[in-house]
Amino acid sequence: MGEVKSKKRSGAFGEAPNDTIPGVLTTTSGAICNFLKKTKAQDLINWGRKNSLWFMTQPMGCCGVEMIAMGCAHYDTDRFGIIPRNSPRQADVMLISGYVTKKYLPALKRLWEQMPAPKWVICFGDCSISGGPFYESYSTVQNIEELFPVDVFVPGCPPRPEAMLQGFVELQNKIKAKKDRGTEY
Amino acid sequence: MDAKTIIESLTREFPEAVSKPEIESEIRIWAYVDWAKTKEVCQFLKDSLQFDHLSNLSGVDYPKRNEMEVVYHIASYAHPVVLMLKAVLSRADPKVESVVPVYWNANWYERETYELYGIVFENHPDLRALLLPEEMLGEWPLRKDYEGFPNKTARNLV
Repeated sequence: MGEVKSKKRSGAFGEAPNDTIPGVLTTTSGAICNFLKKTKAQDLINWGRKNSLWFMTQPMGCCGVEMIAMGCAHYDTDRFGIIPRNSPRQADVMLISGYVTKKYLPALKRLWEQMPAPKWVICFGDCSISGGPFYESYSTVQNIEELFPVDVFVPGCPPRPEAMLQGFVELQNKIKAKKDRGTEY
Repeated sequence: MDAKTIIESLTREFPEAVSKPEIESEIRIWAYVDWAKTKEVCQFLKDSLQFDHLSNLSGVDYPKRNEMEVVYHIASYAHPVVLMLKAVLSRADPKVESVVPVYWNANWYERETYELYGIVFENHPDLRALLLPEEMLGEWPLRKDYEGFPNKTARNLV
């Protein structure tokens, strides 16, 4: 019995099934995904993704205050489907909203790995783009875009919440055009 | 208690350890202290002269003199005098006795001075890095000969 079960499992989920079941076409979820990316269905999926960009509330500096201001009721980000989430496991967008120190980088990487794909990064503020006023410091990590697949940079020190909203809209346009770095097309 | 009385009683109690005392104004005085006697001087200041508040502890690097200094700013709630003590250490082996048994709030000050200058505070209850990551210990970033600054500007700017 055990032998038969293991054979069935290798046929359904294995990389290269040796014995095919007659009359049944076996495939993998990755193959389905790759097939869908070539069809118009991906446009529908991206439409859904771009209208539900939930971002992780993880303020890292003074730009984090602007992030909180944008998440509040005055700017009404819900009309774009942008909703703040507290857990990285429920979030789609990570905002790097401040300088990244050498001590904080492992924690940031861990948060990024906890987020389920598809996921995107927005660099918000001068500090996260280049180090800002702290670019010569002994503890600042530079060139964040080598560590994370950054889609949108929002410059400013700090930028207004409207600029952040514009950054989200740019990210939506990139997802719609299938040019974002969060998904492999 | 005014500044002159404090200096006189300090030099009378420690004629060898305390040197070059100066009265800058009525509320600011300073003196050099032998690094081996720092804790005893602080204990005397706290017990007999009502200096019950350590307001700052930091380090200074003097590479030309090949010396490092630990600077103590000790204030008082009873009289309006702030005393600055300077302990001169050798740059090759900077170490000084911890003053945590006297002033409990020196704990984090000493940890920060240790991680930035490499000054070892002996008999400190928990001498490890305060804010820097553990792997940066040994670089001592606030020393004048530190060369670990990023020498390239960020690519996005240029």
